[in-house]
Amino acid sequence: MRLPTVLGALLAIPLTLAQSAESIHQKLVDLAAAGNGLISLDGDSFDLLISPKRTWSATIQFTALDARRRCTPCKEFDPSWVAVAKSWANAPREHKDNHFFATLDFDNAQTTFQKLGLTSAPVVFVYPPTQGPRAPANGRTAPSKYDFSHGFEPEPLATALSNHTPVTIPYKAPFNWSRWGSFAMGGLAFALTLRFIAPILQSRWTWAAGTMATILTMVSGFMFTRIRNSPYTAGNGQWIAAGYQNQYGQEVQVIASLYGILASTILVLIVIVPKQTSEARQRLQVYAFTFATLAIYSILISIFRVKNKGYPFKLMF
Amino acid sequence: MPAAYPIPSDLSPATVTNTASLIRIVALGLISGAAIASRLFAVINFESIIHEFDPWFNYRATRVLAAKGFYEFWNWFDPTAWYPLGRVVGGTIYPGLMATSGVIYNALHALNLPVDIRNVCVLLAPGFSALTAWATYMFTKEMKDESAGLLAAAFIGIVPGYISRSVAGSYDNEAIAIFLLMFTFYCWIKALKQGSAFFGTVAAIFYFYMVAAWGGYAFITNMIPLHALALILMGRFSSRLYVGYSSWYAIGTLASMQVPFVGFQPVKTSEHMGALGVFGLLQIIAFAQLVRSHLSSKQFQNLLLVAVISSGILGSLAIVGLTYKGWIAPWTGRFYSLWDTGYAKKYIPIIASVSEHQPTAWPSFFMDLQLLMFLFPAGVVLCFMQLRDEHVFVIIYAAVASYFAGVMVRLMLTLTPVVCVSAAVALSTLLDTYIDPTEPPSSEDEQVLEKDAASSEAGSVASTASAAPTTKKGKKAQTNSGADASASSKKASKPQKGVFGLDTRLTVIMNAFGMLSFFVLHCTWVTSNAYSSPSVVLASNNPDGSQHIIDDFREAYYWLRQNTPETAVVMSWWDYGYQIAGMADRPTLVDNNTWNNTHIATVGKAMSSSEEVAYPILRKHDVDYVLVIFGGLLGYSGDDINKFLWMVRIAQGVWPEEIQEPDYFTPQGEYRVDDQASKAMRNSLMYKMSYYRFAELFGGGQATDRVRNQAMPKQGPTLDYLGTNIWLPPIPLTVLTIPADEAFTSENWIVRIYEVKKEDLLGRDLKTANAFGQGKKRKRSKPAVRRRPIV
Repeated sequence: MRLPTVLGALLAIPLTLAQSAESIHQKLVDLAAAGNGLISLDGDSFDLLISPKRTWSATIQFTALDARRRCTPCKEFDPSWVAVAKSWANAPREHKDNHFFATLDFDNAQTTFQKLGLTSAPVVFVYPPTQGPRAPANGRTAPSKYDFSHGFEPEPLATALSNHTPVTIPYKAPFNWSRWGSFAMGGLAFALTLRFIAPILQSRWTWAAGTMATILTMVSGFMFTRIRNSPYTAGNGQWIAAGYQNQYGQEVQVIASLYGILASTILVLIVIVPKQTSEARQRLQVYAFTFATLAIYSILISIFRVKNKGYPFKLMF
Repeated sequence: MPAAYPIPSDLSPATVTNTASLIRIVALGLISGAAIASRLFAVINFESIIHEFDPWFNYRATRVLAAKGFYEFWNWFDPTAWYPLGRVVGGTIYPGLMATSGVIYNALHALNLPVDIRNVCVLLAPGFSALTAWATYMFTKEMKDESAGLLAAAFIGIVPGYISRSVAGSYDNEAIAIFLLMFTFYCWIKALKQGSAFFGTVAAIFYFYMVAAWGGYAFITNMIPLHALALILMGRFSSRLYVGYSSWYAIGTLASMQVPFVGFQPVKTSEHMGALGVFGLLQIIAFAQLVRSHLSSKQFQNLLLVAVISSGILGSLAIVGLTYKGWIAPWTGRFYSLWDTGYAKKYIPIIASVSEHQPTAWPSFFMDLQLLMFLFPAGVVLCFMQLRDEHVFVIIYAAVASYFAGVMVRLMLTLTPVVCVSAAVALSTLLDTYIDPTEPPSSEDEQVLEKDAASSEAGSVASTASAAPTTKKGKKAQTNSGADASASSKKASKPQKGVFGLDTRLTVIMNAFGMLSFFVLHCTWVTSNAYSSPSVVLASNNPDGSQHIIDDFREAYYWLRQNTPETAVVMSWWDYGYQIAGMADRPTLVDNNTWNNTHIATVGKAMSSSEEVAYPILRKHDVDYVLVIFGGLLGYSGDDINKFLWMVRIAQGVWPEEIQEPDYFTPQGEYRVDDQASKAMRNSLMYKMSYYRFAELFGGGQATDRVRNQAMPKQGPTLDYLGTNIWLPPIPLTVLTIPADEAFTSENWIVRIYEVKKEDLLGRDLKTANAFGQGKKRKRSKPAVRRRPIV
């Protein structure tokens, strides 16, 4: 009767494997419980977590939080990661243990980083399960990377990772007390001082100043720097960004003030100079402000020539 | 009154007025001429051709309208767009543009002028720019006077910010929309100033025309209510406002609902709720004023106040409730993306992918508006100084439009008119001040005058005082009156403010004249260099400076037109859909009317996945030809490899498991196409089609991609599923000598067209068939395991 033994042996192998997988899973569940929903990994537990016969999925943050590593983005991203990971502890019991959140710090497992060929941090990998009902139908079990273009904030992270977890991550943004508090305080202060600031609010010049500030910042590319997250200056002190469709934060200030000065020289020529009663002083003012207009306009053009190399015109400079 | 220079005094006032109006008419005529002429660079440099992408659809639709009449056009179902879905064209477009050209075309033919419809389309935008100059003149005239109006008209006629969307051949909705925008605003200001229901109705009619012409009509829908609301808050409610607004809103809204594409939106979407809310508010206030004027009881007035406020609150609660229940749609995505600037990138990548929807850096503002850029704030301040009702409009328009133009490049177009108006107000005030020949009395004269006045006053006071007993009080009164006298003389000299001398005048005027001349040079240069390229035909310079025309697009599209069956379906990225439909006249899968995200994502998926995955998609959509734009040989940067990441992103939005953006980058996070390119990149259909046989072109030398400046590997990609269909000829040997090749590649390799192979006749998969055709032996792979041990 050799067949039964062979069959028995064949049966036994997956059984033992299942056994060990079971125990690994239990271990991970314990680890997760100990870490309040977030496993802090080292090289060995990392291998356990991504064991090739896993029925669970995992998201792992590879980071370098140690001060010596000087990884600013790691520090910026870590709170969001922890918030999302901890919120997974509130997931329904039957799903909670099928997905793990873990963090692997560079200083705990340098060899793992080398093995994965990681040269930058932070990185978030999602490991799908290889076995069981949740294994991907197309058989692709290679980890996928979280795309940081969604942002470092917890909301997009939770939304994107929810595609890979058994149920949606029950992340809820914490109530922003300081924001609402300052709103309420601001509203209250406004209501209380309304009687005193009403003349200011009703003055047309308050509104004129506000409108001017809005217009000047907007036409100097402020929204561009906001949307594109342009730095204030380049690292080497260069404040004009190369390229026609690019700019730094400082350019907004310089260009807005140039426009502002030019507009005010025109206004001075229109409004103030004619009021001057002394003939000699008025003549001096006319010449001075006309020359100032011309000179600042030339500066503006010369900055524009830096941005647009092919521009053929120039004035004084 | 001294004068800086003599003016003839023997002219009758009638002569002066008549001459002035003649000069104005001549000036406006010349401005129109300049506006039209400066837009003809494109026709002179290239030819009378429709530009870019969207205009090709408008042109195609107009041809249908001209050939078959309006009813056929209205019911036109286009089965070749969005294959196999098709498109109900009549209900999904703004028909204003096509209708305008159709009317012009028919009118010209009625006059026995057999003009080709293409020339009507090409020259429509320059023609309407002349009308825009006139509308801006009328609008600015309401703000200041005729001279400011002429300046504004000249500015808008040549300013690049408007020319960029209205050169000859740029046959797009904006071509007529800016005229409609300015004229509607003019009518609104006129209606408000005169309290005229007639002008309110004219505004409503032009508003309807605008709704029929351009999706940007929402700008008017919100600007006018905003202006009305600001006036109410400033305590400037008047029956003029009530009449003007009510007539505009009631007629305009009803009229706008007649456009099928708009339908019931004006009462259902939040974009239009502001206008409705202000309409309701005006009714409440007008009612309250009416009742108040007939009642005197204090209690009743209090009651009325409560009633008015509570009805206002109830009304807004009703709107909130309706929104909550979903009967009023929330903001549409396009509109929402203007406020939350990160929104589009996250949720609607198609909108974010369009280059017109990128934020504007300051050089673009300066390039488009130059000199006007700093006259504009000065003009807004001058509006604040006067602050009549119509100035409030300019101020609000200026602030709102600056924000919008900063967020999206294409909205520069809505900013440009207000910049021209307000810059013209500033410049013409400056010129008025310094051209006016009257001089104030010189300061010495004034001192003498003042002394005289003071002494005479003092004398009179003294004489009266002498009659009274000279007390301390009297003395005080005397000094007081002296101070009063000097104050009053100052007051009297205040309207005499002005400029002394001729040289000062000449300095300022010459300076202004110089800056204006520079502005003209700038505008001409920008227009001829930056905005007059049709983008269908490219131009470069030969070493000797002569122009070299690159006509790959038309070459390829005409190849398709002449060498493929009329039913052949062409797949390309959506940018080229309208051009293929317009020039090649072939069905396309997706086009520039991006209404179906899934369909576009399907194309994106086919382009970004491997041949094995893409082939079934292509076959299921009956695709016969695949067209890619490749700029690597010529250095044309707007090619598909540079747009490729958007295809990946859009596909990823629908199939996040199958397509992942990071796969297309190197592990270092770089976007590369050379031998370090990632595996997904190298296997993608787009990469293969772009670089197929590219290395062979360099004859053994180093192949270089000139757009990305990367050296290409010697061994280029191979294609198994695309290429010419080989119909097995009788002698198999010749089959082996015909390489599986792309169907067509244009002269400079900008357009490459591939034919999708049909399924293999012997039922093999195409990879095996191809390997067999090349004489390779089939690799013996491990035999598939038929039986698994039963566990």
